Amino acid sequence: MNTLGIIFSDMQDWNLNELASHRSVAAIPFGGRYRLVDFTLSNMVNSNISKMCIITKTNYRSLMEHVGTGKDWDMSRKKGGILIFPPYATEENNGLFKGRLDALKRVLGYILESKEKYVVLSDCDMIYNIDYKNVINYHKEQNADITAVYTKINIDKSNSVHKILYNFSPDGRAEDVLVYPVTSGENNVGLNTWVLNKDFLVNLIYDAIARNLKDFNYDVLSKKVKSIKIYGYEYKGYYAHIDSLKSYYDHSMELLCMNKLNSIFYAQTGPIYTKTKDSAPTKYGENAKVTSSLIASGCEIEGTVENSIIFRGVKIGKGTVIKNSIIMQKTIIGDYAKLDSIVTDTYTHIKSERVLLGHKNCPFFIKKNSII
Amino acid sequence: MISNKKECVVMLLAGGQGSRLGSLTTKIAKPSVPFGGKYRIIDFTLSNCVNSNLDTVGVLTQYQPLILNSYIGDGKPWDLDRLYGGINILPPYQRVGDSTWYSGTADAIYQNINFIDQYDPEYVLVLSGDHIYKMDYSLMINYHKEKKADCTISVIDVTYEEASRFGILSSNQDGLITEFEEKPIYPRSTLASMGIYVFNWSKLKEYLELDSIDYQSSKDFGKNVIPRMLNSGEKLYSYEFKGYWKDVGTIDSLWQANMDLLGDNKFDLNGDWVIYSRHMEKPPHFIGSNASVKNSIISEGAVILGTVENSIIFSGVKIGENAVVKDSVVMADVNIEENAVINYSIIDELCYISENKKVGYEKENNENITVLPRESKLI
Repeated sequence: MNTLGIIFSDMQDWNLNELASHRSVAAIPFGGRYRLVDFTLSNMVNSNISKMCIITKTNYRSLMEHVGTGKDWDMSRKKGGILIFPPYATEENNGLFKGRLDALKRVLGYILESKEKYVVLSDCDMIYNIDYKNVINYHKEQNADITAVYTKINIDKSNSVHKILYNFSPDGRAEDVLVYPVTSGENNVGLNTWVLNKDFLVNLIYDAIARNLKDFNYDVLSKKVKSIKIYGYEYKGYYAHIDSLKSYYDHSMELLCMNKLNSIFYAQTGPIYTKTKDSAPTKYGENAKVTSSLIASGCEIEGTVENSIIFRGVKIGKGTVIKNSIIMQKTIIGDYAKLDSIVTDTYTHIKSERVLLGHKNCPFFIKKNSII
Repeated sequence: MISNKKECVVMLLAGGQGSRLGSLTTKIAKPSVPFGGKYRIIDFTLSNCVNSNLDTVGVLTQYQPLILNSYIGDGKPWDLDRLYGGINILPPYQRVGDSTWYSGTADAIYQNINFIDQYDPEYVLVLSGDHIYKMDYSLMINYHKEKKADCTISVIDVTYEEASRFGILSSNQDGLITEFEEKPIYPRSTLASMGIYVFNWSKLKEYLELDSIDYQSSKDFGKNVIPRMLNSGEKLYSYEFKGYWKDVGTIDSLWQANMDLLGDNKFDLNGDWVIYSRHMEKPPHFIGSNASVKNSIISEGAVILGTVENSIIFSGVKIGENAVVKDSVVMADVNIEENAVINYSIIDELCYISENKKVGYEKENNENITVLPRESKLI
């Protein structure tokens, strides 16, 4: 579609300590069988973008393992396809990148070599279904320099500090861009997704090199709002921003509502792709009792599961009761255990008769590979 | 062409109609009949090949191959998209002089001698694509080498009642086959051929050529080639397989093999011997707040709002509120509306069953299994 996709795996990972301590944000498991990056990748694939790259920061092993050659997203192509950039240093750029613009400087060569006319920049700490074709059409119509995707939502002071807010004039051009403000109420919240002409982006990067600018949000969006044409494209569908364990838990639980489940996974834009694991279908025992839950494949369930999300390859013993919990892949839970409002990371082992209680407002997190 | 050399080439017979499966195979070949929640029957044989490090497979197709062909595609799901070898679909083809359909299992291989010769193999493994089992063929090939056999036939001990459905053989203590009878009325042993043969390719080629000019022959391995080899004094060995193996040639055996996946693990789909399949991208399955699921297998993308017991539910199946599914196999993308009741049935793909409809009879009534053909609509 004449568009290059650039995905940032870890632009905002400051508040996801637990989930992102040993993996990049992009690789956080979500929805029973997915990783966060699947949503952005699938959006791009479903929008006919056939060349893309992922810029990683740290702990990118599980992300690389997950994406592989891009085969499962139909991105293992001769022309285009997917490329992962682990951090690398050059003569003039030492150490980890210090911001989005700094990161883009380091892949300038890749951008210059690409023949695509447009570029989509996107983070991958969010769940939404968007057709970038519509954004790009709007971008062309407005003859914009940058088109920012935003949605109107209510925010409060606790989460506004993770967001970029836009104020638009009546014709849709941004007049003011606030980065990580402390505020509340209904706002135009940016989805950290932008469309730019490739040539414009290249000039931005040249300028950033000349002036030693590193931060896209402050140095470009906020400071240049008067001199460049930033337009906003309003997205009206389901949107979830994963910026803390609490929001991870809440948005996961939203999947147990059929409407939301359908709007994410059976959207008109197309399916959400992920790495296939070839696990067998899930097996329910004679005494299994499962209600209001989302259950992935490869599980063996003997006990009771209520209001929970169970990832692939989980084993739940007999007499065990699991409520309001998120059980990530390959967790093994013995017999007669009790779990309420728990998030277990991957490969944890909870032995028989253990009782673990969190609260819906403060789910209790169990680290990867722990044995309880 | 040294890089093309393969020690063993697999020839997978997938052209049979499977007429005893009735309406399940009117539009598709038996190997592509869905099984076990997300698989098709051929997945088991293909996965066994890959897991046994056999990477060159010819699939012989003839009857209703469309779904089978597109299902196999380039063989990617089974890791059979290889630079050398990989999977090849081999339909009958025209050539100068004569062109015929595959008139029997042996003829199908005979017509593809050139395909096999490309790889210059020592051995050819002949398989049928209609059995449910997990087997390491490499062990059988090692056995074949150890015995310096000309042909090794894999056998399984069956009950006396079942024996007349199979090729039955007798062998001495060493495993050397002394007698072979195809579907005998009065079987003399209960060692049944599983339709899995390892041949020395040079030897097999010789006998296929002999068989091809025998106008009385029905061009079948069990009826013609094996007896001829035996009578000519070639060394045929039997290789006993001890695991789970099910011929799913009938509605009853297909239903039973599905049920064997439940409960006490007669046959476990999980484990290190992975069964690969091609499947659509679907989210995890959803179980509603009034649903009840017991002793069942549920696949991705299913939405269960009603009751499911002792059943196999494929991907994308929707079961409405208060609907009941018992002792049944419900294949992909079937929609069962509220209050419908399904008992002791096999519901083929894409069926629609509207509210309050009843399908099948309770299993306890000893009626036959009810089969709803593909895309049926019960309104």
